[in-house]
Amino acid sequence: MNKFKTDIVVGLEIHIEVDTNTKLFCSCPTKGSEEPNTRTCPVCLGHPGSKPVLNKKAVEFAIKLCLALNCKVNKELIFSRKSYFYPDMSKNYQITQYEIPLGEEGNLKLRDGKEIGITRVHMEEDPASLIHPSGMQQSAYVLVDYNRSGNPLLEIVTKPELGNAEEAREFMKQLITTLGYLKIFDINNGIIKADANVSIKGSDYTRIEIKNITGFKEIERALNYEIARQKSAIAEGRKLEQETRSWDSEKGITFLLRKKETEEDYGYILDTDLVKTEITKDLTDKIKKDMPELAHDKIKKFVAKHKIKKEDAEILAAEKELAEMFEKVAEEVNPVLAAKWVRRELVRVLNYNKKEIHEIEIDEKHLIQLLKLVENKKITENVAQKLLEKLVEKPFDVNEYVKKERLEAVSDVSELEKYCREAIKENPKAVEDYKSGNEKALNFVIGSVMKKTKGKATPKEVNEIIKSLLK
Amino acid sequence: MRTQDFIQKIKSNEIDIVEHTHKAIEECKKLNKEYNYFNAISEELAIKQANDIKKQLKQDKNSLKNKKLLGVAVSAKDAICVKGIESTAGSRILKGYKPLFDATVIKKAVEQGAIIIGKTAQDEFGFGSFNVNVGLGFEIPKNPFDKTRACGGSSGGAAGITQKASFPHIALGESTGGSIAAPASFCGVFGLTPTYGRVSRHGLIDYGNSLDKIGTLGKNAYDAALLLEAIAGFDNNESTTINEPINNYTDSINKKRNNIRIGVIKETFRDIDGKVEKNARNGIEKLKENGAKIEEVSLSLPVKYGLAAYYILATSEASTNLAKYCGMRYGMSEELKGNFNEYFSKVRSEHLGTEVKRRIILGTFARMSGYRDAYYIKAAKVRAKIIQEYKRLFKKYDALVSPTMPILPPKFSEIEKLSPLQNYMMDIMTVSPNLAGLPHLNVPVGFEEKLPVGMMLTADHLEEGKLLQIGSLFDEE
Repeated sequence: MNKFKTDIVVGLEIHIEVDTNTKLFCSCPTKGSEEPNTRTCPVCLGHPGSKPVLNKKAVEFAIKLCLALNCKVNKELIFSRKSYFYPDMSKNYQITQYEIPLGEEGNLKLRDGKEIGITRVHMEEDPASLIHPSGMQQSAYVLVDYNRSGNPLLEIVTKPELGNAEEAREFMKQLITTLGYLKIFDINNGIIKADANVSIKGSDYTRIEIKNITGFKEIERALNYEIARQKSAIAEGRKLEQETRSWDSEKGITFLLRKKETEEDYGYILDTDLVKTEITKDLTDKIKKDMPELAHDKIKKFVAKHKIKKEDAEILAAEKELAEMFEKVAEEVNPVLAAKWVRRELVRVLNYNKKEIHEIEIDEKHLIQLLKLVENKKITENVAQKLLEKLVEKPFDVNEYVKKERLEAVSDVSELEKYCREAIKENPKAVEDYKSGNEKALNFVIGSVMKKTKGKATPKEVNEIIKSLLK
Repeated sequence: MRTQDFIQKIKSNEIDIVEHTHKAIEECKKLNKEYNYFNAISEELAIKQANDIKKQLKQDKNSLKNKKLLGVAVSAKDAICVKGIESTAGSRILKGYKPLFDATVIKKAVEQGAIIIGKTAQDEFGFGSFNVNVGLGFEIPKNPFDKTRACGGSSGGAAGITQKASFPHIALGESTGGSIAAPASFCGVFGLTPTYGRVSRHGLIDYGNSLDKIGTLGKNAYDAALLLEAIAGFDNNESTTINEPINNYTDSINKKRNNIRIGVIKETFRDIDGKVEKNARNGIEKLKENGAKIEEVSLSLPVKYGLAAYYILATSEASTNLAKYCGMRYGMSEELKGNFNEYFSKVRSEHLGTEVKRRIILGTFARMSGYRDAYYIKAAKVRAKIIQEYKRLFKKYDALVSPTMPILPPKFSEIEKLSPLQNYMMDIMTVSPNLAGLPHLNVPVGFEEKLPVGMMLTADHLEEGKLLQIGSLFDEE
C-alpha cells in the first residue's frame, strides 16, 4: 500500500496569472486602475446575456508553458463549467478545463536534476477578489472587487513527488524562472499561488491540503510549519484526518478550513458558449520555433562554452535578463571575470539600490568597457566597483570618465614607492609596532597609501613594496 | 398592409412614422390589458427611434433607402436584452434589471430601421410549452382566438401580438426546444427557428446555451424572412455564430421550385388529436398540389429518445446558467442576513417560480458525479446520433414534415390537470430539430373549432431559404 518512497510527500497545485493585456473571455484590461470594480464589463460581471469570447493570446501563452514543461499538448481546447456558489464567482460557476486539459504528462527539473512530474496544465478564469475589512476570520462582511474577475490563469498540477519543503520552494523557483524566460508572467506584479497536498509517513500518508499560499518563499514556510505540525501530532499519538487547511501568512500557521468527508461535487458540464478550439500543428510549430532558450539550456551552455562554474551558471541563468547580460559581456571579456562581475557585483549594486535589472539604463556596452579596463589592469577592482555603482545610477562613457577623473591604476612602481615612503614617514608608530611583531599594524600604512592614490593602487602590490622597504 | 408596402410608404413619406408609432404603441397598451402580451412596452424608446427616422428622412432620405425594416415595429421576447429597458426573461428574480447593452439582434434590427416596441411575455426563463409558467407577479398571455386558452410557449407573447397587431409588426422570439414553433402554431402565425449559430445569442438571457436560438415570428413567411435577413450572421461577441454568408431570405419567398422532395415523419402522426392530423394532412396535400414529391419516412430514434435527451441537456445547462441569479449585483435582493449560502438561498427561494426550481433540481441532478455518465454524458451521445439520423434523411429530402403540436390550443383549465411529464410530452415534435440545431418553420395550415392548426417543416442546417420558400406556399395571398 505504501506507494511513496520519501517520508514526506508533497504535491502542488499552482495558479499563475498570465501576463496578457486583456482578460480571458472579455476585452477588459488586466492592468490599470486599482480603484475597485472599474475594470469590468457585463462578461466578467456575469451579467445576463453576456457571452465569453476566448482570448487567443492567452492560449498561445498557455501552449508556451506546456511546451516548456515538456507536456503533451492536446489537439482540442474545450472549456467546462465548474459549479459552486461563492461570492467571488460572478456566475457561480468558473470557466475552466476538466475532461481534457491543454497539457498533460510533463515535468520540470530541479537544480540537482531531480525530475518532478506534472500531471496537467490547464486554463481557467480567475474569480474576483474578496476583501475582508477586518481580517479573514473576524470580518462580519466581505467586499468584492471584480477587477480581477476573468483574468487568465494557468493551473499546474504536479505529481506528489516533492520530498520536502525545500524541494517545493525550489520547484516554484524553477517554475518562476521558466515563466520569466517565456515572458508570459509579470515577475514583479503577477500573482503565483499554490495549494499544497502534504502527507507524512507517520500518518500513513493521510492527505492534507493547504490552501492560499502566495509565492515561493511562503511555500517553504507553510510546508515547514505543516510538516512539523503533522509530525508532532503523530508523536503525541493523535490521528490525522483528511482535511483542508488554510495558510495564514501573518501568523505563520495553518488552520482548519473544513474536514474532507466527501470529494466536492462540482457538477462539471461543457461550456457550450465556447466552441472547440483546434490546436493545430501549425500553431504549436510556430510557438516552438519562437521558444526562447530556457534556463536549463543556458546553464549547460555557460559551463560548456564559457567554462564557468556550474554554481555561477545557475545563478546567472535564474534570471533571463542577467543571463542575457552575461552572454553579451562574455563575448568580449574573459567569461570567468564576466560571470563574477555580473552575478556578484552587479547583483550587489542592484540589491543595494533595490532595483531590478530591467529597471536600470546601463547595457552590456558599459559593462564591457568597465571590465576591459579591469581585465587589462587599467583600473583597480576597487575603482571598478565604485564606477559600477555610479553607472547604475546613471550611465556614462566609462573610458572617458576614467580619463577625465584620472582613475587609471597607479602601476608605475617608482611612483608607488614614492607614496609608500611618504606613508612610512608619516606613520612611525605603526611602523614600530610592525617591526616589533604586530603584522596587523601594516594595514594602517597600506590604508594611508590607498588614501593617497585614491584607490588607484592594488593593496597587494602596496603591501609588497612596503614590506620590502621595511626589510 | 403588407410590410414591404408599408416600408415603401414610410420611405416616400406617405405615412408619418411618429404618428404611426404612437398609434401602434396605443394599440399595444390596449391589447396588453386584455391579452397580457407584453412584460414591458418601450414607448419612450420607440418614439425616440421614430423621431430619429423622421429627422433622417428629412435630412438625407437617400441614406435610408436600403433599410430593410424602416419604421417596422419589432417586439423582442423578454429574454432578449434591450439596453435600458427592463429585461427579466419573465422572472421576478430579474425584476428591475436594465441591461447595459443591446443584444446583437436588437442592434442589427435597429440598424435596419426597426422600431423596438417592447418586451414580450414568456414562460419564466423559457421553461414551458404553454406560457403558463410565468414568473411570480407576471400575467399569463391569452390566446388571440380564445381568451380561455393558452398562447403556447415559451414565446407566447411574441406569437400573440404577431397575430393580433393591426400594424406591420414582426417578433423576435427564441426557441430552446420548440418555443417559437409551439406558440406560432397555437396563435396561427409563421414561426421560424433558424439553424443553431445562424443568429447571434449575444444579449440573449440563457436557457440552454447549446440549444438556444433566436428566431422570428411574422404574419407571413415574408415577414419572418425579412427580420431573419436583418439579424443573421457572424458576431465577434458570440463564439458559436457561424461564419457563413447570409442569404437574401426574402428572395426565396414565392419563388417557384420544382421537384421539392418532402419526407412525412410517420411517427409524429401517432397518438395525436385527430383534428390536428386532418389539418396537417391537408397541408401535405397542398404541398403535393404544388408539385412536391411526398414520401413517408421513419425517424424513430429522435421521436423515441429526443425528448429525454433534450430535457437532460437543457436542464443541465439551465441549472448552471441560472446560478448567477443570487441577489448580488443586479435583480432582486433581500436584506443581507446570515452567511452567503443562506442569503442566496433565500433570494432564489423567494423569487424563482416552481417550474424554474424543478428544472434547476433536475439539471443539477443530471450532472452530479455518480449520475453524470448515466444522464448528461449519455444524453450528449444520443444527441449526436439524432443529428446523424436527420443528416441521413436530408440526403434524400428537402424538408421533413410533422404536425407542430399534438393538440389544439388547450384551455387553461385543461393545462392545470397535466402532470409535469405530460407537459413535457407536448414538445415531442419540436424538441428533436431543436436538439439537432436544425432550422424549422411553423406554417398555419387551417382552423378547427375556430382555432389554428400548425404544421412544421424542418430542413437541413443553413437551409432557411429552402424552408421559407416551401413555407411561403402557405401564405394567404
